[in-house]
Amino acid sequence: MWIRIWASVTVLLVLAVLESVATGDLAPVAGSPSPTVPLRAQATKPPVVLKLLAITDDAQIQAWKEILQEFRKIDGGKWSSVDIAFETVPFQDLFPKIESAVAAGAAMDIVQSDGPDMKHYAFYRSLLPLGKYFTDAEMKQWLPQSVEEGSFRGQLYGPPMMQSCSLMVYNREMTDAAGIKPPATLDKSWTMAEALTAWQKTTAHPSGSSIPSVWGLRWGQGTWVGDYEHGIFRRSNGAKGSATYEGMGPDGVTFVGYFDTPEAVEAMQFYQDLHRKYKVTPIEAIPQIFETKKAAFMVTPDNRIGELNRLYGEGKFPWGVTGIPYFKTQLCHTGSWAYGISPNTKHFNESLAFVKYASSDAGARIWYKHVRQLPANISLLNTLPEYRPGGKQTIWIEAMNKIGAPRIQTPGYTEYQQVFAEVTLNIMAGANVAEQMKAGAQRIQGLLAKYKGWK
Amino acid sequence: MSSAVVAPAYPSPRGWWTRRRRSYLIAFLFVAPAVVNFLLFRYVPILAAIRSSLWQYSLLGGYGKFIGLQAYGRLLQDPVFWKSLTVTVQYVLLKVPAQIVLSLALAILLQREDRFSAAVRSAIFAPVVTSIVVISVIWSLMYHVQLGLFNSILTSAGLPRVVFLSNARVALVAIVIMMVWKEIGFSLIVLMAGLKGIPDTFHEAARIDGASSWQQFRSITLPLLRRVLMFVVVTQTIFSFQVFVPVYTMTKGGPLDSTKVIVYYIYQNGFLFQDMGYASALSMITLIVLLGVSTAQMRWLRSEVEY
Amino acid sequence: MQVNRPSLAIEPLPLRPWRVAVPRRARNVAARGVQVALGVVLLIVYIVPFAWMILGSLRLETEIFQFTYPLSWHTFVPVVWSVKNFLDILGLSPEGRSFGLDFGRALGFTALVSAGVVVSSLIFNTMGAYFFARLEFPRKDLVLLFVIATLLIPFEAVMVPLYIVVRTLHLQDTYWALVLPWYASPFVIFALIQFFREIPRELDEAATMDGASHLGILRHVIVPNALPGLITTALLEFQFIWNLFYWPLIAVGRKDLQTIQVAIAQQTTQTQVYWGRIFAGSVLASVPVIILFLLLQRYYIKGVVMSWLKG
Repeated sequence: MWIRIWASVTVLLVLAVLESVATGDLAPVAGSPSPTVPLRAQATKPPVVLKLLAITDDAQIQAWKEILQEFRKIDGGKWSSVDIAFETVPFQDLFPKIESAVAAGAAMDIVQSDGPDMKHYAFYRSLLPLGKYFTDAEMKQWLPQSVEEGSFRGQLYGPPMMQSCSLMVYNREMTDAAGIKPPATLDKSWTMAEALTAWQKTTAHPSGSSIPSVWGLRWGQGTWVGDYEHGIFRRSNGAKGSATYEGMGPDGVTFVGYFDTPEAVEAMQFYQDLHRKYKVTPIEAIPQIFETKKAAFMVTPDNRIGELNRLYGEGKFPWGVTGIPYFKTQLCHTGSWAYGISPNTKHFNESLAFVKYASSDAGARIWYKHVRQLPANISLLNTLPEYRPGGKQTIWIEAMNKIGAPRIQTPGYTEYQQVFAEVTLNIMAGANVAEQMKAGAQRIQGLLAKYKGWK
Repeated sequence: MSSAVVAPAYPSPRGWWTRRRRSYLIAFLFVAPAVVNFLLFRYVPILAAIRSSLWQYSLLGGYGKFIGLQAYGRLLQDPVFWKSLTVTVQYVLLKVPAQIVLSLALAILLQREDRFSAAVRSAIFAPVVTSIVVISVIWSLMYHVQLGLFNSILTSAGLPRVVFLSNARVALVAIVIMMVWKEIGFSLIVLMAGLKGIPDTFHEAARIDGASSWQQFRSITLPLLRRVLMFVVVTQTIFSFQVFVPVYTMTKGGPLDSTKVIVYYIYQNGFLFQDMGYASALSMITLIVLLGVSTAQMRWLRSEVEY
Repeated sequence: MQVNRPSLAIEPLPLRPWRVAVPRRARNVAARGVQVALGVVLLIVYIVPFAWMILGSLRLETEIFQFTYPLSWHTFVPVVWSVKNFLDILGLSPEGRSFGLDFGRALGFTALVSAGVVVSSLIFNTMGAYFFARLEFPRKDLVLLFVIATLLIPFEAVMVPLYIVVRTLHLQDTYWALVLPWYASPFVIFALIQFFREIPRELDEAATMDGASHLGILRHVIVPNALPGLITTALLEFQFIWNLFYWPLIAVGRKDLQTIQVAIAQQTTQTQVYWGRIFAGSVLASVPVIILFLLLQRYYIKGVVMSWLKG
């Protein structure tokens, strides 16, 4: 019996070892294979492998792989020996992963950083300032909002990967069935009150049930409650430039009197009512609610279209898009991911060159081909057919230019977003809105006190 | 031959290297590799964590200035800390007794060697060896107020829907139920091993003397199971106190902080609020609390039974 | 201690903690009926979530959440049966290949890591537990306290310092980062001590009289008698490593060193969650371990019965 156990353990071990030897686990790996590198170049240059830390997203990886291939050809093949090893992490865990790597001084070259977090990283010197490596002409490639978002104290830390803006997409079949025609142009966008009517009309209850089979609205992507979509509610109830609209004091650390103004509270009360009083949106988020046709309207950036194409085939899902609803001021949050270079990099020149190429018009074009989200490069916005006048996604550019507002710019963005998410979830769960907002503002201000005087 | 070694009554020719010391050395060699592991991979990190609780420390920013016990003072006045401690204690008080009682009952009921009992035991053990992340995901879907399996069954039976995870009164209990479901198999197996260790002859003798099943349970089974029972109670308390993944996956501490257990608060501070020093201080307090609780439990449940 | 067995061949009756004032035969049947009913309820309670997960993995992604409400046959049974999710994650389909998915490799690698930990754990933890259960050493109780105290601190708090230690040893991003921190475990030692203490010291003395050294006692007395404990802790250790998520996430980054739990978690992206793949990955991650337990359970049960009949 003893022997049998040992035998089975040994067999297991042998099988595992054989399997790993067959797939090369125990042998050192030098990143992805590079079939296009000419032998001559291989013989003369030692291969440089850049570690790129990014969120798990297949479209992005595909994009980078193609960008890498083109990158190797530029400058007369100067960078032909560069290779990239991808380290991908789920979105939730990217931040802890970056922090652990920084705390341990682990080798890292390029890091995919969320736009609003750039100031956080820059404050802690976890990314290198890159301002002096980019000419003015190069900086002009991108939208000024992107440059501002990726900068800290006036210096560029992160060239942008792409941009974004949230609008309200809808299921045309459902709106037609309810007899609703959402406005097709941005200037005629619905107010929240008008949109509410539409949401109520498209919420369908099967007979005798209190739970809708189709919801009117999903405000936000995935099941995440983030500042990106949910901060819009608060800010929209303030006139442009007001404390409510700004959402934060000009010093970047004051929130009492900005986060918890009566207008902000009123807006979040409406948000709570959508869930609990009017019941047009589910309290417990439903996965893929729009894709599985369980919601008529969804507030999301334009990458949603790529997802619909993936699931149903190009153009097969009957989607339409209309302006994002508003209280007093219409706005959509802009900003997206950016490239950062770690101070622990041992290959600064190669990293910089790759980042430059990837964020240039040539690289961004390849990026867009795979990821299909609003580019940050101006020339692309002017040349891509879907964004040119008459194109299906032109309204997104229009929105970004007319109503786009960057998220609040502060090194304490991470802390702020965490507390705001908790406050929002509590509000959805039925807590007293005014209390939550006031307590939230206090908490955020307490947590951000350490960044005082950061500018 | 006694296994105890006495020191020689005259100065040994080897001087300091007495027989006793040599036997100690040999004994220590048995545990040395494990000790190296603990020192290097557990104590050094713990000491680093203690150190970081006395400084301003964040993962991205590194070490700031020395603040001594300020973090501990801050913690005592932090209402969220007290809330999280309360929530954790509530969780442990719900989960551990339920798990122990149920697994003890099941261990006795499923003692038979037939195929049916073996099948039931295997089914109960399956969640133990499944990832907590996978289980949390599956159960959070099952608990969903609209899409969940539980509510589907309830509504099909004509009962009203129950809001589980977004209900501040129910969320913690929902997590307790899931964790008891998952971990009963482990304590079941350990208790069964303990039960097998009680020779059947004891029960036979008691039965011949006319004892009822309940009397046998109280006077024979329970006392002889003490050591194993102590082990299960203490370890389950320790692990339950440190629950994290279900909260992280299913509720993120909400709703209304009703599931914000201490380790989640530690995680928030260390990784999201950029205040690892404070998180370390919270961990130290957790350590002290657990030390107190475990020692009390071990003292209460210890037995000197030799047979 | 030797107990005289009754000379009559009385079959030891199973323990019944409830009592019914009814003739024995009827009592047997009623009790058995309750036992079976309970067993069936337990089976349902435990199998249903797994069944839902397994059947969910065999559906198309758009179908997974369409039939959960209201409850119907199709809540469980797919309308369209499809192994696409499995083909995707194993990298056997074009979509899976283009995404670079290779759960087969992740499974194999995780098995290698778990096996490595279990083997080293069996050796070093057994020796360590023997020390605490049997050997003489000054202030042994304090040493044990130090060992167990390490369990009392949440892993999330020491995760990053541990990573720093691993990095200082230049082990980060290697197989060893996943194995070395776990080659000895306070929990396993604590458990084994309890099992070892059950074994009567007289057996040790008998072996010593026959000329056995400490290692000999280990081999011939302790290990055979504590076999159920050893197998139990080995299994628990195996599944602990197999199901570990946060440590492999931060300690190791290379794709070819990815463990199965990290691979599953990768299917949650910022904007969408590939539920079909998560279900399929979870099935692949859970089923081998469950089967392993089932296989070894037979030896475990037999071993227990035999070891106690011996003496």
